[in-house]
Amino acid sequence: MSAQPRLAARDLSVRFAHNTVLDQLSVDLPDGAVTAIVGPNACGKSTLLRSLARLQTAGTGQVILDGQCIASQNSKSVARRLAILSQSPVAPEGLTIRDLVLRGRTPHQSAWRQHSVEDAAAVAAALTATGLDGMEHRSLDTLSGGQRQRAWIAMALAQDTQLLLLDEPTTFLDLPHQIELLELVRRLNHQTERTVAMVLHDINLAARYCDHIIALRGGHVHSQGSPKDVITETMMQEVFALPCTIIADPNHATPHVIPT
Amino acid sequence: MTYTLRLGSLSLQLARRNLLVGLGLMLLVLTGGFAALHMGSFPVGAADLWTALRGDMEDITRMILLDHRLPRVLVAVGAGAAFGLSGAIFQSMLRNPMASPDVIGFNAGASCGAVLAILLFGSVRFVLPWALTGGLLTAALVLVLAWDRRRGTGLDPYRLILVGIGASLTLGATSDLLMSLTDEQRAADMAQWLTGTLNARNLTDAALIWGGLLLLTPVLLWLQFPLSRLTMNDDIVQGFGLHLAGLRLVITCVGVLLAALAVSVAGPLPFVAFVAGPVARRLLGTGAPVLAAAALVGALVTLGADTAARLVPVVQLPAGVFTAVIGAPVLMWLLVAQFRKGAL
Repeated sequence: MSAQPRLAARDLSVRFAHNTVLDQLSVDLPDGAVTAIVGPNACGKSTLLRSLARLQTAGTGQVILDGQCIASQNSKSVARRLAILSQSPVAPEGLTIRDLVLRGRTPHQSAWRQHSVEDAAAVAAALTATGLDGMEHRSLDTLSGGQRQRAWIAMALAQDTQLLLLDEPTTFLDLPHQIELLELVRRLNHQTERTVAMVLHDINLAARYCDHIIALRGGHVHSQGSPKDVITETMMQEVFALPCTIIADPNHATPHVIPT
Repeated sequence: MTYTLRLGSLSLQLARRNLLVGLGLMLLVLTGGFAALHMGSFPVGAADLWTALRGDMEDITRMILLDHRLPRVLVAVGAGAAFGLSGAIFQSMLRNPMASPDVIGFNAGASCGAVLAILLFGSVRFVLPWALTGGLLTAALVLVLAWDRRRGTGLDPYRLILVGIGASLTLGATSDLLMSLTDEQRAADMAQWLTGTLNARNLTDAALIWGGLLLLTPVLLWLQFPLSRLTMNDDIVQGFGLHLAGLRLVITCVGVLLAALAVSVAGPLPFVAFVAGPVARRLLGTGAPVLAAAALVGALVTLGADTAARLVPVVQLPAGVFTAVIGAPVLMWLLVAQFRKGAL
């Protein structure tokens, strides 16, 4: 890595009561790339992502955004540069897609400035990018799981940030919808050079859609780098305790895990 | 259909349905107000109001209109609006339709203060400041007990509701205990007050509630912006760069102030704060908090209940009896609707 990336963690530790969730961990999110954070349950993936988005306070160490400690920066100013979509987000009953996406504009708004020309443009762009054009007046409750997840992504896009963090965006989606969502993320990354980081469970999908993989185990970084370098039989054994063979995906040549 | 209003750096959005429902409710409140002035054991034409205000009128009609009915109607509309606002604020902020001030103890605190005042001074004259203090103290206590210091988000909504219900029961029992400690006359005053009544309200009461609403209006106009965001989960709100703990504290203070003001002029009218928000939300068909509509629905319910109470012959029934009669079925309907959706 040449220069310091926009978002990184340095010697970050997080403790809940007497339980150390993240232990002096340092990671970089390469600018303009799609990063996947992988690891077994309870290894601190979500905590790492939430810490990177200043939703979790650091015990020791810090998260650096644009060269400064994220905790010392104005939260609204951070929200104009970094958007996070948390796991199983909740919206009030009856909210329309359009109103949901418009809420993504919150960091650019105030009580007196709730629907500027820029807001309208950003909402329209987010709806188009996620293929929700023409559906904006439908209520969120009436959507399928895949559509709803796209609506939430549209909300995060409307925030108009260069950094986008997604916590398990594919959970509860069937395989075709998982692919659809990851294609969308990939496309956004290519078209707008957004830096994306997401927590993913499916290693094979992570290998196919991400440029950079961070493998976590017990609050430590086991390895980080390109999918080819990180996804190895040794890593699968050490991180997931899963004996496996790794082959090249016949369609995309990315590493593919076959449990033995 | 939505309209967008842009003026320099000011930009707002208005939905046509909200405008129409708002205007409709406002008309209903106005019509209801005039009807209430007109109706009663001594019929007075609503047109007489202008004559009465100008002073060209015989004393008895003038007295009935200006000293009895007008303050009562003004207090009913004002207190109803304050209850409706307070309920909608807490229900939105705590993301739970059960979280209205009459359920989470704030009204009970104000009532307990009032009962104490009646016990100490032997009349209902000093009820006002005591009710206000009681409501605010209860809110402070509930907040301290429900505040979660380990989390940056401040209040845990579920904790606040549970602590609040506990406080409500404790304070209700305390009021009952105080009532049993005193003579019959005071106990009757207390019982009437505890049900919520608008009997014998004067223009000072009306000035108090309307002054309070007027002072809080700028805050309420600002409030709808953060409040509509607080209906989403904590991570999203913080991800937007909003300060959850600070906002929750400010919004709680505004909600408590409104509830305490309303209780101190109208007594703890049951269910008004509770039903106004959900009814307004159904009328508007939106997931956003509906402060203005909730205020109007609250005003309408209270005005209707008080007028109904006034029209029952022979006995002077407290308005609270009627708000309970309207409110209890709405509560059941809400619960059943939530059961059906699997939300409970």
